[in-house]
Amino acid sequence: MSGSYDGFGRVSRRIGKLFRGVLFASTLAGILTLAVLLVYVANDAFQPLTADPGWHLVFLFTLVVPTLATGWLSYRRSYGTLATGLLGIVMPGIAALYAGGLAALFIDVIPTLVWLSFVIALVIPGAVVVALRRTDRSMPFLAELGAVLGVTVGSLLVVPSLVQGLPTVPADWMVLVLTLGLPEAFLLGRWIEGRWGRRDGWIAGAAILVGSAVGGVVGMMTGFGAIPGVALTLFALVPTGLYAAIVVRERPDRRIGLLLPAVIVVGMVAGELLVGALGFAGPESWVDWSFLTSTTQSGDPRSVGIYSGIVGTILLMFVVAAIAVPAGVGAAVYLEEYAPNTRFTRIIDVNISNLAGVPSVVYGLLGLGLFVRYGGQPTGTLLVGGATLALLVFPIVIISAREAIRAVPDSARQASYGMGATRWQTVKNVVLPRAFPGILTGTILALSRAIGETAPLLVIGAAQVFGVPDSWTSTIGAMPLQLYVWASTYASPAFYTTVLAAGIVVLLTAMLSMNSIAIYVRNHYEQR
Amino acid sequence: MSGDGATDGLTRRTQNSSRELLAKAFFFGCAALSVATTLSIIGLLVYEAAKFFTISAPLLGIDGPTATLTEFFTGSEWGLQGPNLGVMPLVAVTLMVTIGSGLIAIPLGVATALYLSEYASERARSYLKPALEVLAGVPSIIYGIFAVAYITPVLDTLFGVDGLFNVASACIVVGIMILPMVASVSEDAMQAVPDDLRQAGYGMGATKYDVSTGIVVPAAASGIFSSFILALSRAIGETMAVTLAGGSLARSFDPTSLASYLSLFDPDSYLEPGMTMTAAMIQLLTGDVTGGGLAYRSLFAVGLVLFVITLGMNVLSDVIARRYQEDYQ
Repeated sequence: MSGSYDGFGRVSRRIGKLFRGVLFASTLAGILTLAVLLVYVANDAFQPLTADPGWHLVFLFTLVVPTLATGWLSYRRSYGTLATGLLGIVMPGIAALYAGGLAALFIDVIPTLVWLSFVIALVIPGAVVVALRRTDRSMPFLAELGAVLGVTVGSLLVVPSLVQGLPTVPADWMVLVLTLGLPEAFLLGRWIEGRWGRRDGWIAGAAILVGSAVGGVVGMMTGFGAIPGVALTLFALVPTGLYAAIVVRERPDRRIGLLLPAVIVVGMVAGELLVGALGFAGPESWVDWSFLTSTTQSGDPRSVGIYSGIVGTILLMFVVAAIAVPAGVGAAVYLEEYAPNTRFTRIIDVNISNLAGVPSVVYGLLGLGLFVRYGGQPTGTLLVGGATLALLVFPIVIISAREAIRAVPDSARQASYGMGATRWQTVKNVVLPRAFPGILTGTILALSRAIGETAPLLVIGAAQVFGVPDSWTSTIGAMPLQLYVWASTYASPAFYTTVLAAGIVVLLTAMLSMNSIAIYVRNHYEQR
Repeated sequence: MSGDGATDGLTRRTQNSSRELLAKAFFFGCAALSVATTLSIIGLLVYEAAKFFTISAPLLGIDGPTATLTEFFTGSEWGLQGPNLGVMPLVAVTLMVTIGSGLIAIPLGVATALYLSEYASERARSYLKPALEVLAGVPSIIYGIFAVAYITPVLDTLFGVDGLFNVASACIVVGIMILPMVASVSEDAMQAVPDDLRQAGYGMGATKYDVSTGIVVPAAASGIFSSFILALSRAIGETMAVTLAGGSLARSFDPTSLASYLSLFDPDSYLEPGMTMTAAMIQLLTGDVTGGGLAYRSLFAVGLVLFVITLGMNVLSDVIARRYQEDYQ
């Protein structure tokens, strides 16, 4: 009898283990495939094997070994120390990337004088708003609104031509120090004043202002350029310095983490000097300065560059953000805060989720029909491209903004209403400020999706050969469009594994920098 | 939606001030813009496509070349030089890409979802889920370049393909691209299966394998199935990857013969180039598109077919997820 019950209670674990293994392998399959492809791309783009073995050896000892050792030391101390160090590397890198982009805009697209004239034209109505707020509180709302709108329109009509007609023209760096350095010095000075006291705030503000002027002058004298000098000082050096100051002052336990970025910078400089002295050749990388700054379009892989694509992408992002963010956040506020539970609301609801599933090429057709054929705009301009991409990311912005708004606890709203606030006051003072980090994260992710979109731009007739745009109505290129042009016009293996690999690296770096900012914002505010 | 009575009561006295009305009107306008977008997509596609067909073009005052509905839906060639205006050759290649990418994404996606939902530790999930999101975040043009530059050479050494372009490489990259969609929607459905059911299974002496395959998957079937449809509709609308990988050479496809449908399942036909609907739209754009000629209007006709298919699939996936959802309350 007992023989037939031998198997009872004993279950073979072989199938279960095998099944689990298969599932795990499937999970990794896609990720590993992408990883392998990216390794191939990186190899083709940077060509590390073309460097002298001596070059690798020098950098191994000046950069890699010290970095790993310092990183390990920081990690031994605490995980937070290592994180401080890593942020100290990533943050300046990304900041320099964006400062470079900004500098490119002022060098090639917006003449600094035009920029100055519009800033002045907008400062005037801003001053009117502040004056109205401070003096007369009994003014009816519509009269106030009318006055502000009137001053804005009048100032925009009169001031720019007036300023642009000035007999003496200020130098580029002066304009940037005045329009960007002054506000940054004021804002950061105020912020530091609130954090460390009045004296430090003043010192920091003055240092930022003087530093940006010095950056401009030094840039001009060294041939680096006045505009990049100011931009890098204001948007890369200042944030880096501020970050270091905050760590040193407020997190003494993590101070040692700052050693990591320092070791990397010193290692890179030392390695570069040693390699130069010993005469070791570096890799023949396809991602080099000339690739990033050349606007040449030709069949010769060594001479082409992605510069016009980079500038085009930056400009497109400005237009997309200017259109899609206010509209998307506004729609989200309506749906979450105002919408009655009616049929129309439900239609909007279903409609948004369906819009998010419409293929991007169809949005291109929408832009082509709406703006080009019936709107009378020329094909492929910055405005048409930006508006088309804005329509594409509109549902994505709405969905993420709704999630952020929904996460604001109802008790906060009810407290506001209980204090006698109106709906608009509640939205303005309670809901939007609390939902802001979530909205920002969602917006950056939506923009980073827009960066990679090619099909809508092709459909609206973006040119196959494009230069650096110089006005709102000039034809625009973009990084992915540039990749498509190379891939389709010069469809040869010589292009695919060289320039295109380099282009992929640049495009992915831009997207990665945006995504890491989004992740940082989310994590930073989640901790509160 | 904040439609509760207390809030309405508290804000009733102020809700008609000009400031409140202006704010509300702005927000409503933004929300209405989303409906306007949909309406203009539909209106524009239908209107421009109507100008393309012989049957409706005279009504809109068009007297250029047009295409008959039979030509469009039963023609076996695509190419405006002819002009041969059959859309089915394009639909057929789109279908091939959908089948091929589905063969990759569906098994891998369901297995991924099952692993993440049932087996993975919290720590493993926190690494694997963002990594999967990266797959969907890489731009489609980059996948296209991957297909031509790195996947086609591999296929060439394995099976021998001619030239740079083939449908198989498009299927592989699109499959990788839509995998996260299958995985995340299916995983959501599996997570929604109540723990009681799993516990009941374990109580009956079932192993983890039994519970996963015998309880979780059937209980989440409607969600899993709707994830397939959603992901496949994404594959149909995919543009840049298939344009680069598949090439821009239209195949011929006779929609009236059975043999041509069978050829869709022939592995050898995947090793040849083929042009999908989306790729054809991109190719049309090299010609005259703003003048409103036949090429311009055919663009919208193909776009309408694409839009109807993807919208239909999205709605279908929504209906399946809702209607066949098991109610565990």
